[in-house]
Amino acid sequence: MPLSWALFASFLLAAAGYIVGRSRAFATAGPDVRKLHSRPTYHGTSVALAALLPALAVLGLASVLRLTGVVTPESGLVAGTIALIAAVLGLGVGVMRIGQEYQARNVVERMVLGLLMLSSLIAIVTTAGIVLSLVFETGHFFQLYDWKAFFFGTEWTPRFQGNSRLGIVPLLWGTMYVSAIALLVAVPIGLFAAVYMSEYASRRVRGFVKPAIEVLAGIPTIVYGLFALITVGPLLRDYFAQPLGLGNSGTSVLTAGLVMGIMLIPFVSSLSDDIINAVPQSLRDGALGLGSTPSETVRQVVLPAALPGIVGAVLLAASRAIGETMIVVLGAGAAAQMSLNPLEAMTTITVKIVSQLTGDSDFNSPETLVAFALGLTLFVITLALNVVALIIVRKYREQYE
Amino acid sequence: MTDIPLSRPVDVPDRKPGSLLQQDARTKARNAAEKRFRLYGVIAIAISMIALVVLLTTILSAGSGAFRQTYLNIPVTLDAAVLDPKGNRDPAEMAKVLTVSYGRVLDAAVEATVARHNIQIEGLSEDDIDNLISKEASAQVRDRVLADPELIGQTVEFDVLTGGRIDGFFKGRVTMESAARDSNTSPQQLQLAQELANRGEIVTRFNWNFLTNADASDQRPEAAGVGVAILGSLYMMLVVLVLAVPIGVAASIYLEEFAPQNRITDIIEVNISNLAAVPSIVFGILGLAAFINFAGLPQSAPIVGGLVLTLMTLPTIIISTRAALKAVPPSIRDAALGVGASKMQSVFHHVLPLAMPGILTGTIIGLAQALGETAPLLLIGMVAFVRNFPDGLPGGLMDPASALPVQVYNWTQRSDPAFIERASGAIIVLLVFLLCMNVLAIWLRRKFERRW
Amino acid sequence: MYDTSHRVENAVTPKDIKIQARKVQVFYGDKQALKDVDVDILDKTVTAFIGPSGCGKSTFLRCINRMNDTIPIARVEGEILLDGEDVYDRRVDPVQLRAKVGMVFQKPNPFPKSIYDNVAYGPRIHGLARNRAELDDVVEKALRGAALWNEVKDRLSEPGTGLSGGQQQRLCIARAVATSPEVLLMDEPCSALDPIATAQVEELIEELRTRFSVVIVTHSMQQAARVSQKTAFFHLGNLVEYGDTDDIFTKPQDSRTEAYISGRIG
Repeated sequence: MPLSWALFASFLLAAAGYIVGRSRAFATAGPDVRKLHSRPTYHGTSVALAALLPALAVLGLASVLRLTGVVTPESGLVAGTIALIAAVLGLGVGVMRIGQEYQARNVVERMVLGLLMLSSLIAIVTTAGIVLSLVFETGHFFQLYDWKAFFFGTEWTPRFQGNSRLGIVPLLWGTMYVSAIALLVAVPIGLFAAVYMSEYASRRVRGFVKPAIEVLAGIPTIVYGLFALITVGPLLRDYFAQPLGLGNSGTSVLTAGLVMGIMLIPFVSSLSDDIINAVPQSLRDGALGLGSTPSETVRQVVLPAALPGIVGAVLLAASRAIGETMIVVLGAGAAAQMSLNPLEAMTTITVKIVSQLTGDSDFNSPETLVAFALGLTLFVITLALNVVALIIVRKYREQYE
Repeated sequence: MTDIPLSRPVDVPDRKPGSLLQQDARTKARNAAEKRFRLYGVIAIAISMIALVVLLTTILSAGSGAFRQTYLNIPVTLDAAVLDPKGNRDPAEMAKVLTVSYGRVLDAAVEATVARHNIQIEGLSEDDIDNLISKEASAQVRDRVLADPELIGQTVEFDVLTGGRIDGFFKGRVTMESAARDSNTSPQQLQLAQELANRGEIVTRFNWNFLTNADASDQRPEAAGVGVAILGSLYMMLVVLVLAVPIGVAASIYLEEFAPQNRITDIIEVNISNLAAVPSIVFGILGLAAFINFAGLPQSAPIVGGLVLTLMTLPTIIISTRAALKAVPPSIRDAALGVGASKMQSVFHHVLPLAMPGILTGTIIGLAQALGETAPLLLIGMVAFVRNFPDGLPGGLMDPASALPVQVYNWTQRSDPAFIERASGAIIVLLVFLLCMNVLAIWLRRKFERRW
Repeated sequence: MYDTSHRVENAVTPKDIKIQARKVQVFYGDKQALKDVDVDILDKTVTAFIGPSGCGKSTFLRCINRMNDTIPIARVEGEILLDGEDVYDRRVDPVQLRAKVGMVFQKPNPFPKSIYDNVAYGPRIHGLARNRAELDDVVEKALRGAALWNEVKDRLSEPGTGLSGGQQQRLCIARAVATSPEVLLMDEPCSALDPIATAQVEELIEELRTRFSVVIVTHSMQQAARVSQKTAFFHLGNLVEYGDTDDIFTKPQDSRTEAYISGRIG
């Protein structure tokens, strides 16, 4: 591993540079350290950075080139040597620059600022990575499979031997059905809970209930998934589906929807709580002063005033529901079908992404690549919901700021 | 929302002042509506609380069994002729003896024990007796013998794992009725197990092995543990800690303290808030495409999982860190600038230390989220069956490993219902970790809470 | 503590008394905000509460229509009789009380609804109109009563939050007037307004007096002198002095009152 050795050596050189730079700065200053523009530690740091940064740049470039296969792993020795030469040169230049007038602090701070800025760019890089990887592989998929058949096909029957039908419509239907049930559960419960907590609950009740609801939010989705699988699913099957003759599947749209609804309660309630609390107290006072009951105040003044924010919150919750994976994987089933019966197993986009990408089929087959097209669809839908929700919420916040 | 009936019994609009001490009909109706409304709130909260309690009790009761395990205590005669055919006690030679041979030795030992206690059960077959113990038992004995060849030829007491059905019988999962329909056990076998338990040969103990063992194959749920999963999760958390925290804090400092108000900053901010809401599975797709297919990192490796989780956790850390930085009053910055500190010095010497508790709390909560995340890890191959522990750091980051939530998912896909118990047990372990992290976060927040 | 003889001198007939407060004490948690306040507030009169900030004048005002109920730690003792009935009686529904005792707040707080819906809100919840025509009538009367009708009659469906500050406050007054209260409480209604808007509101208060009892809390002594007939001076939770406004400002009985109106405390 010449590269890691080079990395190690560069760090050593940087450390040496720090000590050399610092002592040289002291030497330049003479008896009065205040003659220096910057404190000696900054001089030391500037030398260290001067040695380290070029070396790191060379090493980073080398590893990228190696990962992308432009150069062979054997070139590591060359790259390591170049890196070390760069480090030594940087060290030399850094030490030469030291003088009473040299603004070491400003140089160091500019470099640190550069590092900070680079870190903040990670967000953009990640988004770009997501978009690129999705778009690239989706393009690949559409070369193998007709896009119209994907977006408008109502049948989902992947086959190992090829000739699969990969229509997204039944998956979209399942996704929407599960999400709708989840929202039907989560929105009223979450909203009423938030209203009760902010308008009625005593401090003691709030002090107990709020953390409990937060616990609900902190539970990983796999736990909800298992809950759906071992408790809710069998319960619905034995007490509703079978007696009513509506099917006998342990997994169903209703199972996944109910459990996902529970998962979303804290999400809806904490967002609504923020939004309701943003409504100024003076409005409540105004309504109460006219003789409204508290519930009239909430229904006729607070909620209408908070409505845009709440709509935004519901959209965010919808986006969560659509992108949720583990609950539907374990609760909704794997059968791609379009039915109105909520006690039947159906499947969603996320379930199929998992099943197509964890199977053993050839990566370059349409059966695998379709997962990227599904992912892109999912990404676009959730992104659109988020953007709209954020715009609404932001507008709403501005109204009261 | 304004659907209030306009009608009113009394003549209006210049109403007569009635007594305050009597509620008129309208007030009574309105107060009834008020009570109903409050009731809805109470019901909503009650539903949430009940859901929480049912969820937790279900998992706890389903998973508690994983922490207890039944063992059969038998004296095993380690026959040298079978286990060391060459007779030279050479470990290399002995390693060639397969578990099958040990299985035969164990079968004999179990049969001997049953015979010794003189248990007579009608219809009890030899298979019933042999299958009393886990298939894992032979590996267990073999490991002991290979570690200490001197045992050969002696008769040694072993606590061997009982089979999954026997274990289930003592935990109430398997009953005589279900056994009658089960090809893997029989009522006679359970009766035998009960007799042995009555004689103190089968005992139930706390199951440390659940925490230290690796996963086991479909046929031996009794031997499956979360050791590899815990280690894998730990490795990934380490990667997240090392990458996400410095990058997240640096990005937050830049955005909160230095970034100019311009388009690029705007784009970055919108990007971060959107990334926070991107479904986790999409990050899995990114990991698969970027880290495995493009960069060529190995599948199932903690490094890949850690990288994916880092990208997922970054927005959380950035958002909470920025909130913590924002909470430091501007007067602190002014004070530092006022004594001649540079902007950078004021941030690193004053603002950052003051914001530290908030940053730590946010970081821990971000880590807790990452620890429980499942979906993206499925896509980067962590769902594979991993029998071997990954190496130590840093090389172990490249070895295949599992992760706690993925292990749970993995076990839910097995056919033997005993794995549901294991899955719930793994969730308990996961929840204990999460609880500790959250308690730590709350403790930090309390300890360093500052009112400006 | 002021002695009751001053009040007798004012020769008030009991019939004119709208509100009688007896030994009113208010506590916020352990802190006592009002001590033994006794006061008679007259019908068809503007009564001003003055005093330095934190003296308890707003606290007392909020006791009269039980707005203090919304503060969990507030506790009120003593009795406040409205037409002889204690508003703190167990049988009294604060909702019914507040329909009779309207309130206008320091900061204009129109609901984020149309001008019409703002004014119609009270009549709607209290069922003061049987149909749309009647409601239109109530709204128009209230807006005319608040001297706002001419300014807004063409844009009743526009949001109330779009009006200027002074208009918003008059809208809030119209909103309170629309429920035809018997007493109108005003908590520093002009503190957020410019001088012209203040003059308009003061003019309005003068007019409202002909219809019901108005109680106004103000931090401005000039305003108290301009609009009120009766003035009560509060200091450190005590009602120091109560009497005709002219008397309070020209020949105060208590040294503390004198110190306040001459600007030495406040």
